[in-house]
Amino acid sequence: MSVLEVRNLSVTYATGTPFEKTAIQGINLCFEQGDLVGIIGHTGSGKSTLVQTLNGLLRPTDGQVLLDGVDIWETPQNIRQVRFRVGLVFQYPEHQLFEETCYKDIAFGPKNMGLSAEEIDARVREAAAYVDLKPSLLEKSPFDLSGGEKRRVAIAGVMAMRPEILILDEPTAGLDPKGRDTILRQIRAYRDENHATVLLVSHSMEDVARVADRVLVMDHGEVAMYDDTPAVFARAEELGKRGLSVPAVTRVFAGLRERGLPLPENAYTVEQAVAMLLPHLRKGGDR
Amino acid sequence: MLSDITIGQFFPGNSPLHRMDPRVKLVVIFAYIVLIFVPQNWAGLGVCVAYLLAGLLISGLPARLLLRSIKPIVPLIVLTTVLNVFYISGGETLVKWNFIHITTGGVNNAIFIAVRIVALIMGSSLLTYTTSPTTLTDALERLMSPLKVLRINVHEISMMMTIALRFIPTLIEETDKIMAAQKARGADLESGGLVQRVKALVPVLIPLFVSAFRRACDLATAMECRCYHGGDGRTRMKQMKMRRSDGVFLASTVLLCAVVILLNILLASSLA
Repeated sequence: MSVLEVRNLSVTYATGTPFEKTAIQGINLCFEQGDLVGIIGHTGSGKSTLVQTLNGLLRPTDGQVLLDGVDIWETPQNIRQVRFRVGLVFQYPEHQLFEETCYKDIAFGPKNMGLSAEEIDARVREAAAYVDLKPSLLEKSPFDLSGGEKRRVAIAGVMAMRPEILILDEPTAGLDPKGRDTILRQIRAYRDENHATVLLVSHSMEDVARVADRVLVMDHGEVAMYDDTPAVFARAEELGKRGLSVPAVTRVFAGLRERGLPLPENAYTVEQAVAMLLPHLRKGGDR
Repeated sequence: MLSDITIGQFFPGNSPLHRMDPRVKLVVIFAYIVLIFVPQNWAGLGVCVAYLLAGLLISGLPARLLLRSIKPIVPLIVLTTVLNVFYISGGETLVKWNFIHITTGGVNNAIFIAVRIVALIMGSSLLTYTTSPTTLTDALERLMSPLKVLRINVHEISMMMTIALRFIPTLIEETDKIMAAQKARGADLESGGLVQRVKALVPVLIPLFVSAFRRACDLATAMECRCYHGGDGRTRMKQMKMRRSDGVFLASTVLLCAVVILLNILLASSLA
């Protein structure tokens, strides 16, 4: 059984007013335990709405969200329990940091879960370790941190609840390449160590190509594609039609193929590209 | 939920009322608000209401919108109506039971005053619905400019109002996002007693204040980058010009005043 399943899900905003708008319509999806899924789609495609229905922040107008086979809205009083199990990190850390110290801020989630002081302490330190936050930073005010550090504190604040499903909205937006690499690596580590399911909403095809096992493409509130990463990026033309691109490496490879180099179609990370190109370079050298 | 607020909301359009000089609109609405308290009889009040309906027709806005603007003040209307019904006596007695004494005069007055309040709110809503906040504060600045003689900095006041109005929707949107982010960490904003609820607001208010200050700093920098230095020697991109239609509108308001005062003199008061 899938850990998270979405059945015939629709969300309409401002029903019954002139501003009525259908954000997502009739979506069916399954997420398996341990999956790392990249969610892509351009602005207004329904990505944000979808992830907010998955942890019960938005109530679907129609359809169901099943967590371990149970409808999360079966008992609306218990929706907070669902939010502890399905952790959602929003794009802007500024929207959630409020305590005097990073430590207290990360402890906010576990505290809301009603855990004991020792358990909270253990979880805060564990989460800080996941996001590579130095213990000295824990006693600093979150407002004194750099953008990348704030982002990491925000992610730790959700990881400290040890969610079985971790959803991150644009976790790498506005970070430098080094900060981006670190965060992506840590997200993978969290998945591997907790056998958790991770959903990663991103605009960056490179990020998705690097870490995701599967890719979900949203377009106009519907699921356009949902398949293994290589299979999705192999459909470059279709992605282009939906206003999306493939990773830069894939584009370079397509260009090289046009110029006559016999290269495969399934290159989407730099590492793969290097491995595939090297033999050709050697051949060229022999000539 | 937060987005349901309609007071002060602007509905863009291209009706004669939308295009009217905002200064004239302000003066007319001010006169109308005073005028609404002048009539002492139903005929006079009727003329005022008819004037309002004419404005609504010209604006081309759905009547439903104007009705919705009444919603926030329904408790006030109910309260004044109830007070009037019980405390004003005159005419025939309708109900007499213990200390309750309801007369036709009381009911008459209650309805009269309720209509007055509704017309008052609808009139001012018609102004904000058809005038964008920036145009409105612009007009206010022009109208208040004689106050410069008293060394009051009219430009700064109107700039503050413009900025405040401009950022209301931004802050509402931000509040929604912050609430979502805290709820995702299990914040409970909807249950508990008063003390608990106020406490639960702290995680929402602090990020909101921090972001409001940050926005203020950014805005100040952006204004300085464009060499903003107050109102002295500043010219305007949008010049306000009175047109013939504005004159007609002003004249109609003067006429309305005359009619209402005349009706007051000619007809007996309908109030108890």
